[in-house]
Amino acid sequence: MGDLQIKSLHKSFGDVKVLQGLDLDIQDGEFVVFVGPSGCGKSTLLRCIAGLEEVTSGEIHIGGKRVDDVPPSKRGIAMVFQSYALYPHMTVAENMAFGLKLAGASKQEIAAAVDHAAEILQIQPLLDRLPKALSGGQRQRVAIGRAIVRKPGVFLFDEPLSNLDASLRVKMRVELARLHSELKTTMVYVTHDQVEAMTLAKRIVVINMGRIEQVGTPLEVYHQPSNTFVAGFIGSPKMNFMECALVSADEALATVKLSDGAVLQVRADARTKAEGEKLTLGIRPEHISASQTEAHNSLHGRVQVAERLGDTTFLYMDSASTGDTITVKTDPENTLNAGDEAHMSFPRHHCYLFDSQGQTLPRTPRVRA
Amino acid sequence: MAIVIDKSQRWRVLAAHVFLIALCAVVIFPLLMVISISLRPGNFATGKLIPDTISFEHWRFALGLPSTAADGHLVYPDLPVLRWLWNSVKVATLSATVALFLSTTAAYAFARIKFTGKKAALMGLMLMQMFPAVLALVAIHAIFDRIGNAFPLFGIDSHWALVLAYSGGIALHIWTIKGFYETIPVEIEEAAKVDGATPWQTFYLVLLPMAVPILMVIFLLAFIGAIIEYPVASVLLHQQDNLTMAVGSKMFLYDQKYLWGDFAAAAILSGLPITVVFVLAQKWMISGLTAGGIKG
Ligand SMILES: Nc1ncnc2c1ncn2[C@@H]1O[C@H](COP(=O)(O)OP(=O)(O)O)[C@@H](O)[C@H]1O
Ligand SMILES: [Mg+2]
Repeated sequence: MGDLQIKSLHKSFGDVKVLQGLDLDIQDGEFVVFVGPSGCGKSTLLRCIAGLEEVTSGEIHIGGKRVDDVPPSKRGIAMVFQSYALYPHMTVAENMAFGLKLAGASKQEIAAAVDHAAEILQIQPLLDRLPKALSGGQRQRVAIGRAIVRKPGVFLFDEPLSNLDASLRVKMRVELARLHSELKTTMVYVTHDQVEAMTLAKRIVVINMGRIEQVGTPLEVYHQPSNTFVAGFIGSPKMNFMECALVSADEALATVKLSDGAVLQVRADARTKAEGEKLTLGIRPEHISASQTEAHNSLHGRVQVAERLGDTTFLYMDSASTGDTITVKTDPENTLNAGDEAHMSFPRHHCYLFDSQGQTLPRTPRVRA
Repeated sequence: MAIVIDKSQRWRVLAAHVFLIALCAVVIFPLLMVISISLRPGNFATGKLIPDTISFEHWRFALGLPSTAADGHLVYPDLPVLRWLWNSVKVATLSATVALFLSTTAAYAFARIKFTGKKAALMGLMLMQMFPAVLALVAIHAIFDRIGNAFPLFGIDSHWALVLAYSGGIALHIWTIKGFYETIPVEIEEAAKVDGATPWQTFYLVLLPMAVPILMVIFLLAFIGAIIEYPVASVLLHQQDNLTMAVGSKMFLYDQKYLWGDFAAAAILSGLPITVVFVLAQKWMISGLTAGGIKG
């Protein structure tokens, strides 16, 4: 009963169009993550689903029922806010019981629901405390507990972990995953942190400037980004982009020329594009290999900085072929140092081509010889 | 002390202490004077701070106790001081309660609800109440005279009229409480909405408990304001039995005869309810009621 449909949803604040025609279909029990840069409208979308903002136009259906005009408490949702938003004058137990109490549930019912939620989140010892006597992580658990008690069809999380420190965030991330597998309730989760998105989501919804850029599983958006925005947003460090012009294209391979005349081949179908047309070539740092030996399909450059992190090494390379620095992620044994000349090899099947609108050109399968 | 302090800093600390102690003395001196006058036999405004002989005649008078006259029989005080005190407390309590109720709800609307003309209403409220009530005395008298013709309960010489007049002066309270509400994160109220609270429940069950300290401050201010208010009360109340302490005390000071001693005793008495309310309210003025709701 926790499925969620959004149909051509628009939301404006005065003249500012924040959401511009969103369509989305979320299955019951799915864990969906909205990810996008700050200010792209993720929170606004979530608040529209919750009923905390009126939609300007469009439809929202939860559990098969149209809810645009239904108040938040009757939509079958529960929300966990970024700032926790606990009631500071109530104990943990009272915080969790508040909704049921308002709904007129009996004392036993309330006690049972609160105990159940406290058990799931392991916060039984905290039930009599006030929020001010809790740590950040504990407060977040209470906020989640308050949501669980409502037995919602859909959980809505708005950046619930962004106020926690790094190690606690990892811990809570794992717990949220466990919680989802335990409750099997639909969860809609907003974050600007792509690691959270990749690790938690069954499906990721990438949002930019109030529009959905791509919907897909974490690996789909990583391997098959539909445009330069998704390609650049998903993956860290971000994908390298360089301008190029099409030289020739056949059904399996496209040949492009970079600004200094260097030529690269890409496994993409660029036959729809004219010769000489401006395109963008993209490749992820982890797919480039850099070494001093000459390599096939490669660019020449010089190491600007080498960052050795122990488990990996990042090389920041200057190249005559592009104005930007090229980031390369290599294994820690790589011996290149700052100032060294090197060849960067670009495996053809790991390169992407984007047209002038930023759309990804179809990629062609790798043929094994 | 954990921090190492420069020598010159010590002198500055000392100087600051001397200054503050002097300031305290200046502030406390008038109070001591009044106590001294009230305990001094006769009605003299001047004299030693510590009286040579202590007499309770003024206190007996203020408390309505009979005193023995020169010819031997008991004389009862001719002015109902305790009754005035009671009137003051009654009017102050009622008007502070009404003012509190009106200003918390109005401030909530101004802080959280969107409506047209909000800014204009806020500014207008503020501007209008910047004029001292004295300027409107004639109008106030005329208005309550008229009201009294229709509803005698709210006419001249009625405490309800005074309560009504005082309850109007809430612009400043509204601004103060509004400022406080605006420091409370909206998410807490939104969480309550998601939990199924109606706007009234959100206000009453979530916002108000957090606002208790500021509400106590407002109550106290309104209470003190009503106790010490003179001009409006002097226009609206006439009969001797109806007067508030502030108006009644004036009766000690005739043109020919200044009963400084009685006046001083009455003045201290009128400070009493303020002290009591302050001590009671202080318990609730603990800070940090909103702590812990968000982030951390
Ligand atoms: N109540 C509001 N009034 C006006 N503009 C708003 C309001 N809420 C959000 N916005 C604007 O909408 C845009 C998206 O905001 P938000 O949904 O909070 O972004 P995100 O959560 O993705 O960081 C921002 O540019 C923000 O300024
Ligand atoms: Mg946000």
